[in-house]
Amino acid sequence: MIDEFAAIEGRSQGYWKLIAGMGLLLLLGAAAFIYIEVNGHGVTGMNNSVVWGLPHIFAISLLVMASGSLNLGSMSTIFAVKQFKQFGRFSAFLAIVLLAGGLTVLTLDLGRPDRMLLIMLHMNFRSMFTWNVFLYSGFTVLCFLYLWSMFQFPQFTKAAGSAAFAWRFVLTTGTGSIFGVIHAREVFHSAITAPTFVAVSLTSGTAMSILLLLASFRFTERELDRRLLFALRNALIFFLLLVLYLLIVEKFTKFYSPAFYDVESWILTGSYAWLYWGGVVLLGVLGPLAVLFNSNLGNQIGGIAFASGMVVLGLFCFVGFVLIAGQAYPMNMFPGYEAASIFQDGVEGSYAPTLVEFMLGLGGIGVSGLLYLLGIRFFRLLPKKATAPEGWDVAWHP
Amino acid sequence: MTMATIERRAVLGLGGALAAGVTLAPGITLLAAPAERTEASAGRRWAMLIDSTQCTNSCTACTTACRKENNVPLFGEPSRDVHWIRKVELRDKDQRRPSVQVPVLCNHCENPPCVHVCPTEASFIRKDGIVLVDMHRCIGCRYCIIACPYKARSLVYHETRRTDESNPNVPIRSKGVVEKCTFCVHRLDDGQEPACVEACKKEGKGAMLFGDLNDPRSEIAKRVHTVATKTIRPDLGLKPRVYYQGL
Repeated sequence: MIDEFAAIEGRSQGYWKLIAGMGLLLLLGAAAFIYIEVNGHGVTGMNNSVVWGLPHIFAISLLVMASGSLNLGSMSTIFAVKQFKQFGRFSAFLAIVLLAGGLTVLTLDLGRPDRMLLIMLHMNFRSMFTWNVFLYSGFTVLCFLYLWSMFQFPQFTKAAGSAAFAWRFVLTTGTGSIFGVIHAREVFHSAITAPTFVAVSLTSGTAMSILLLLASFRFTERELDRRLLFALRNALIFFLLLVLYLLIVEKFTKFYSPAFYDVESWILTGSYAWLYWGGVVLLGVLGPLAVLFNSNLGNQIGGIAFASGMVVLGLFCFVGFVLIAGQAYPMNMFPGYEAASIFQDGVEGSYAPTLVEFMLGLGGIGVSGLLYLLGIRFFRLLPKKATAPEGWDVAWHP
Repeated sequence: MTMATIERRAVLGLGGALAAGVTLAPGITLLAAPAERTEASAGRRWAMLIDSTQCTNSCTACTTACRKENNVPLFGEPSRDVHWIRKVELRDKDQRRPSVQVPVLCNHCENPPCVHVCPTEASFIRKDGIVLVDMHRCIGCRYCIIACPYKARSLVYHETRRTDESNPNVPIRSKGVVEKCTFCVHRLDDGQEPACVEACKKEGKGAMLFGDLNDPRSEIAKRVHTVATKTIRPDLGLKPRVYYQGL
């Protein structure tokens, strides 16, 4: 069993260039954090209408992707697709490093990050944030146990993997509920917001896993059986259809009630409609589906990688839309009246992200990237070669 | 099994143990004694009534007085200025009613969503119903701003400094912390009315009335029970304590 896995050598120039690149992103993030900490959030594009901005888009996207990256492990541990057992270690480790990157950005963007520990001293169990503290740390523990069991105690892999699988659904439900439970915000207050986050985590986690597996195996010149990639492609198609279904059901339900006409019309035709149609729908769902369903592109590694890239970018657009459009839509405090004030009542909130926010977000990617690169260098996370049994094939090809 | 293998397993185990510690530590601290809260009378329910027919468009006495009393800074950036109370102009969409201007401030709700979402309990309800922010406990996550349907909270985006004009009886506003109206709790505890209400009586037409809803002899209790009043977004079920007359 041990012989099936090997750490990468990590001596090549390419490896050290990647390390340096991720280290640079980390330094950019650190510099941005210090700059914001010294000067206050006035140096960001955030304001009192849009109080969560680009750093939160990076952070929440990484957190959502972390949950979804456990898919590969779950496929073998839960759904007994034995061909994916060889990706279990990679899957659990990727979940941890993506979570670490997301949480780093989320923490460093606090107005008072020096008080972070207060969140552990004074807990409010009505707050979704408090629940998420437990959900994130619990998920990390379970992924470690899952990983550890795969390394040393295979008899516990099923139990640890099942617990992590269940936890990840609760985790992403918790992340989506940060938005879904807020009654004051018409754009994202919905019972379907959390399930949509879960579905988007399935697509983006799978897509990120595909991209990283392709890159890792290519750079280390290891063999990756195309049939495994096709299986992941089929899973990605299924998850994308699930996202599309949830998006349609939400719009159908909202448009059925005249009470939502204003907000829904604004979503589909207003200032952020470009992000909804272009980013969430086209880039995040329809574009990848078109590529993956194409009999030519869908059967090529390049096509699958391209679609996966679109899905990951689509995740950022989805989170960006929920966050920014959700806050920018004016709150309807006085129904029947048009409101105006020096505090931007009755008008759309505006938000123009600044470079320093972008740098802070990149810092999170740097953390995840660096941890991943070090992980595959020091631990036996990746199989020496990823193969599928003779005669086995996926059930469907485009 | 090589030494390197053992060390790597040890690192993995240590990582798991650390993560377990992070998860369990918060639970252990739950056993700690709860922090003391400022004492206030639980028998009181402070509330405000704003008569929109008496609030004149050009008057900003309430907002000016609030800013001065509570050291609320103006940064000269409209989207980032801190507002504890603001005048909102309301125009009837059907143009059946004349435009009015009314002050909007924290509604000190009975079911405040800001308190519900605050992860550190920095936002809390005092015994007399006033919703406050412990500025030393706020971590600046801004979730309360997202949750408040009245846009009554502001993050302090820049450093502020005490000046000769600052009120020495209240702190200056702290960078990175979320701020909002306190109903001038420091004045209430000294037996005075909120600064905005006092200014409205002196410089305006007395559109703002403040008092204890639980005291049936109070003017506000009588008015709330005898005239038609509205609250903002009653459909949210928050039970706000700022009432509007004439809307």
